[in-house]
Amino acid sequence: MATFGSFALIAALALAAYNLLAGIFALRLIATGAQARISPERLADTARRAGIASFVAVSCAAFALIWSVFHNDFSIAYIVEHSNRALPAAYKFSALWSGQEGSLLLWAWLLAGYGFVLRLTHKNDVKLYAYAGTILAGIQVFFLSLLNFAAPPFSLLPGYVPGGPLPDDGNGLNPLLQYPEMVIHPPMLYLGYVGFSVPFAFALGALMMRYPGEKWIRITRVWTMVTWTFLTCGIFLGMHWAYAVLGWGGYWGWDPVENASFMPWLAATAFLHSVMMQEKRGMMKSWNVWLIFVTFMLTIVGTLLTRAGLVSSVHAFAQSSIGTWFYVFLGLVLLVCLFTFILQKDHLKSDHQLESLVSRESSFLFNNLVLLLGCFVILLGTFWPIVSEYVWDRKETVSGPYYSAVAIPIGLFLLFLTGVGPLLPWRSASLKAIRRNFVIPVIALWGTVIVALVAGVRPWKDGEFQAGTFYALIAFALAAAVLTAIVSEFLRGAGVIAKQTGKNLFAALVLLTRRNTRRYGGYLIHIGLVIAIIGFAGAAFNRNVEQEMGLHSKIHLGPYDLECIGFSQDSNANYNSEFALLDVTSNGKPVKVLTTSGFTNLQMTPEKRVYLASQQPQTMVAIHSVPEWDLYVVYEGINPDSGQPIIKAILNPLVGWIWFGWIVIVIGSIIALVPSIIPSTVVLKVPARATVPTAALKGGD
Amino acid sequence: MTSNTGLIAGLLLLIGAFVYTFWPENSFAAQKQKTQLDYLLERKEQLYENLRDLNFEYRAGKYPEEDFEAQRASLETETAQLLSEIERLQQA
Repeated sequence: MATFGSFALIAALALAAYNLLAGIFALRLIATGAQARISPERLADTARRAGIASFVAVSCAAFALIWSVFHNDFSIAYIVEHSNRALPAAYKFSALWSGQEGSLLLWAWLLAGYGFVLRLTHKNDVKLYAYAGTILAGIQVFFLSLLNFAAPPFSLLPGYVPGGPLPDDGNGLNPLLQYPEMVIHPPMLYLGYVGFSVPFAFALGALMMRYPGEKWIRITRVWTMVTWTFLTCGIFLGMHWAYAVLGWGGYWGWDPVENASFMPWLAATAFLHSVMMQEKRGMMKSWNVWLIFVTFMLTIVGTLLTRAGLVSSVHAFAQSSIGTWFYVFLGLVLLVCLFTFILQKDHLKSDHQLESLVSRESSFLFNNLVLLLGCFVILLGTFWPIVSEYVWDRKETVSGPYYSAVAIPIGLFLLFLTGVGPLLPWRSASLKAIRRNFVIPVIALWGTVIVALVAGVRPWKDGEFQAGTFYALIAFALAAAVLTAIVSEFLRGAGVIAKQTGKNLFAALVLLTRRNTRRYGGYLIHIGLVIAIIGFAGAAFNRNVEQEMGLHSKIHLGPYDLECIGFSQDSNANYNSEFALLDVTSNGKPVKVLTTSGFTNLQMTPEKRVYLASQQPQTMVAIHSVPEWDLYVVYEGINPDSGQPIIKAILNPLVGWIWFGWIVIVIGSIIALVPSIIPSTVVLKVPARATVPTAALKGGD
Repeated sequence: MTSNTGLIAGLLLLIGAFVYTFWPENSFAAQKQKTQLDYLLERKEQLYENLRDLNFEYRAGKYPEEDFEAQRASLETETAQLLSEIERLQQA
């Protein structure tokens, strides 16, 4: 299989290179109208087909690697490093992305997959898709070159000769990856990362060909939305994995690689908002193009961070030579973007100007500025070790406190804008309109502040200012205001539909959403985000206890009592484990949970595993989740002096809201991607009362 | 799978890809050049949508009467100008 896999990768590179070169030549012929022995359209079609064939070739290579993992082919160095015989089947798939070569192959495979879909749907707009397909082929050539020349996944074990001796077993998969979510988290994240190549290809292609009109931005927006949804899922799954596996009680550690996934998310979120201004009013064209360029470049920076060991991270692989490849590629992408932008700048003139600072447009502009400010702050923090080493010859890292100090206020301001945006009308808002739309959310805001203060959420305790509680209070108040604003948007719209059609409120809400899936799906995403932010705010009230536990000793935390009723050990072919058995009571009463055998008393079993192949330990946290909080219990290990296990229990308020918010975001994203019902139209002729900027009639150059 | 089998499978893949890429086919998709008129027709759809949104939001109570009238007048003027330009291009 190693031979077949290597051959498939070379074939894929050759096909992608043909796609790129023939595509450039054909598009040049079409653009200049020059004559050639072959029709340029025919040549462009062979380029497109080569792109499709390259997907088949990369799929064969990916299949070859997975087949080799499942058949324990220890002649391949990658399989020895990242798998072993006793590895459960589901985790054998994870071996594909557990190492550098495999994850680059996954990148190339997903990229070819996106390209496959793009090239199959080329009839939507043949010329634009030809440009996009050719640009995508350029990106494919880069990744396939890496796979063929810098990080080949099918390299044989050093010194291995066919028929010679092989290792009995592999080193096994990283224990951190042996968790169900790790089977889907990396592919989701990669689908998000890789997917941004497609909007990038469309944006660059549209600019190169001076695409007439705004249709390209609609196509780009849909691809961005799909990719954004995958990246959102990837980020949330990663957070949940970190929460459930790493055993420190948190879900986000501002690790450089976490940041690397968050930065393109922020830039893409900015684009998804500002794109509306281009579609509706022909504004911010240059800004949107650069947002897409920056988003793509940030995904490359993210991959560079992970692959090149540029900054130390729990996710990063060892320092390797492929960093240089990424620097060159990133530089090349930047040059192409700059050159194309300078050449075609006059094509991106706005049709309209900002009319008022109090309008939907300006709220989107602020939203964009704040999102990009957040992105810059995170970028600076992530690269601070490199910057500080370069400037002061001293490597310094920034951690949680830096990010909390800057990211929380930025996040809260964004939350504020989430509520303000939908309430402001396009173009400009009069004072009367502002009063009318803002009165209920403002009441909700102050009502929440009062209720929270009465309930004991007070930023001053014993004369000391509590920053965490203060931010949480603001977050709760803003969340209430934003939720009120969005719900009132739904209810107002449904009220109109109910009046028009005589339907009940629920049916009117459904019809309202179907009539404008993009807007109301978007509002649902905002609701999900607000719910998640309420969950994040809960972190200000975390409590924890850590103690050695003998038999029948107890931990008291919040309303819970945890009583140790035993310890046990277990082993299988993959790992040995030891765990504690804890009975849980709440306010003196047993906690009931629903299991397959009906309601039973809750028993928690925090566990510690040692994986046999790699001899690496791994924590398996026990979590009891209810809407108010999570009871989070970690088996820390055995105290060598006393021989007794150490148990850490943490009460994490509102964590479940984060995961629930994520589900709402995903539902909202899916709704936003469904096409709306097309309304019927009637022709209405009215006399022109004033002149409009002639720019609005241009664009088809 | 031995090296030789792998090599044969790889060659088959290469031949298949070559045949698929260069298979002589007379009909392939080509697109006519987009004109100024096409662009204006697209823009017209967007302006209609903006008008529909404005009407809907007014009925939902988001706009005071005077704001709505001013916005509608501005949008209708822009649409009218666009329609007259479309008509001119269609007649030309």
